Amino acid sequence: MKVGIPGGLLYFRYGKLWNSYLHALGAEVVESGETTRSILTSGVSKAESESCLPVKVFYGHVLALKDKVDALFVPRLVSVKRRTHTCPKMLGLPDMARAAAGEGLPVISPTIDFHSGLWSNYRAVYSMGRLFTSNPLRIINAGIKAWREHRLYLERLTLGLDHRGALEGQTDRLLCEGRELRVGVIGHHYNVYDTFTTMSLLDRLRSMGVDVVTADMVPEKLRERALKRLPKDIYWSYEREIAGAILACSRHRLVDGIIFMISFPCGPDSIIRVLCEQENRLMGNLPMITLVMDEHTGEGGFLTRIEAFVDMLRRRKERVGGMREAVMAV
Amino acid sequence: MKISWPHMGSLEVVMSSVFEELHLDYILPPPNTQRTLELGARYGPEFACFPLKTTLGNFIEAIEGGADTLIMVAGRGPCRFGYYAETQRRILNDAGFEFQMVPLEFEPAKIPALVRKLQDLKQGHSWISLARAIKFALSKAFLVDRLEQQALHQRYLDKEKGATTAALKRCYKMVGEADSYAALKRVEEETFAMLRSVRRTEREKIKIGIVGEFYLVLEPFFNLQVEEQLGYLGAYVERSIYLTDWLRPSGENPVAGHHDRESEQAAMPYLTHFVGGEGIHSVGNTVLYQRHGFDGVVHLMPFTCMPETIAKSILPLVSRGLGIPVLSLVIDEMTGKAGVDTRLEAFTDLARFRRRAREKKITLALQPAF
Repeated sequence: MKVGIPGGLLYFRYGKLWNSYLHALGAEVVESGETTRSILTSGVSKAESESCLPVKVFYGHVLALKDKVDALFVPRLVSVKRRTHTCPKMLGLPDMARAAAGEGLPVISPTIDFHSGLWSNYRAVYSMGRLFTSNPLRIINAGIKAWREHRLYLERLTLGLDHRGALEGQTDRLLCEGRELRVGVIGHHYNVYDTFTTMSLLDRLRSMGVDVVTADMVPEKLRERALKRLPKDIYWSYEREIAGAILACSRHRLVDGIIFMISFPCGPDSIIRVLCEQENRLMGNLPMITLVMDEHTGEGGFLTRIEAFVDMLRRRKERVGGMREAVMAV
Repeated sequence: MKISWPHMGSLEVVMSSVFEELHLDYILPPPNTQRTLELGARYGPEFACFPLKTTLGNFIEAIEGGADTLIMVAGRGPCRFGYYAETQRRILNDAGFEFQMVPLEFEPAKIPALVRKLQDLKQGHSWISLARAIKFALSKAFLVDRLEQQALHQRYLDKEKGATTAALKRCYKMVGEADSYAALKRVEEETFAMLRSVRRTEREKIKIGIVGEFYLVLEPFFNLQVEEQLGYLGAYVERSIYLTDWLRPSGENPVAGHHDRESEQAAMPYLTHFVGGEGIHSVGNTVLYQRHGFDGVVHLMPFTCMPETIAKSILPLVSRGLGIPVLSLVIDEMTGKAGVDTRLEAFTDLARFRRRAREKKITLALQPAF
């Protein structure tokens, strides 16, 4: 059976996990690969105009796969941590994929929900495995193997590889290797690591001689500690990471400046942005720029703003001189 | 302590009744106007959802009117609504207003905090009198909801345009003035008699249902009087959300006449999981409307509303599958009334032609997706 994994949204986080699980179960996995101009265009024309950019990209990936596969794999992630939720769009994603691909194509969508305990998740994963093989040992082994590879992938992200690098297992070309400036590029995985919609922001920053710190590279302990000071808990899982990373960066001066990547019109991010900007101001105003991307974002305007921001940081650093040492090496 | 709260349809009847009963100081925020919207859009985050901006505008106008304690409901769902209070507090603080925000959270883990907050708000009144006041206010709201429903059902028969709306306004006033259960009982009979006595004419009937995000469905100023317009265009209107239904924790909807479970089950073939807010109910109620022989469904959603965006991307499937026209209206501070009216007019025409064709048993083309 040919199973397609659309390369949008949560693929940027769990792609390795899904791929190796399906592979180990004996399915033939077809990926839609990186986002291209034609994927974006087809997605934009098919998706609701009010959807956010990554959802439109996701639609494009679904459309690119739909004639090549026997089934699509789009899990429903309700919650990935106790007492938190993912964005509503993740909850409705399998149904949206079904609406995009048309009635004929089956969508495999195990429901992962940590509100109802671990057992229901194991069951969801296992019963999905039964679609491919009736050998329970094989399913369990596949699960364990996939989870190991996923952990390795996340570890590589933590060490400072980008999505592609971590997928392919490179160990050179780190995002952060002690250049003169260090900038935090913080946002959803699918916003930061998608080279097409971000116009290879990470590579461009690298070529400007700037080190990049992503939300993954900020230690989880620091993020959680920074979040504890908020009067109201943030209840979106991925926004917790983003807000935590920004607040930790700002508090401990992990970076010289922050680039906050948002896609238009991301719901949770619009709320988090108010919170982060205000808290950052209270903690001594680390330079922060918010970049809002959509399908109309022009490369020129985008680049100019990045360059201006980096120049500003560079000048600021020269003026302050060596007064402030780097607090932490990542 | 001068307490205020944002507008939401007939919520003011409930809230002011509670405060009147307890003789507490409160300030009714000025009625929604264009200025409310402008204030909200100026201070609110760029692509935050529409209700955040309008309620923010209400808060600013209430503070200008002298309020110093703002009540807002909070929670923790996938929808952004749960984080409104905190965000608005930050925004208003930044803008330099002096006030105190009281977010009321109704989840089990936060009950002690809720009790403490209510303790402060009731200012020395006993818990029993508070409970009594709330119970009485809710029975008022229940009456208001039934009156609104009656108005929706009969507006298309008006002999003089706007007669039902005028009668409904008088009803609101009478309900607001009732001060005991006995008076409320009397008012109930009088108001229903008044609404029924509005002069009627004969008119061809089409049935239109309204689904969508609760704030926009309940708040006539911001949904650009969709209900009224539909009535004038000749539609018997039913809506899926009423205030007391929404406040009821059990999921029962006595006014709308179905249980939440029913609409969730109806949505199953299209949307299989709760997506926060009213997303799944928008889809489910569309299916239920079709089963009840409605000719069309108007779907109201605020721009960038996450659950309704999902519903909107799934509704074309429902529309095509069941053969019921669905019109999605996306509303934000830029939406013009003329544009909405034109679309409603075209939509009711379409629904009418489809009804006639169905009565004559003419085969219809597939639904276009709006």
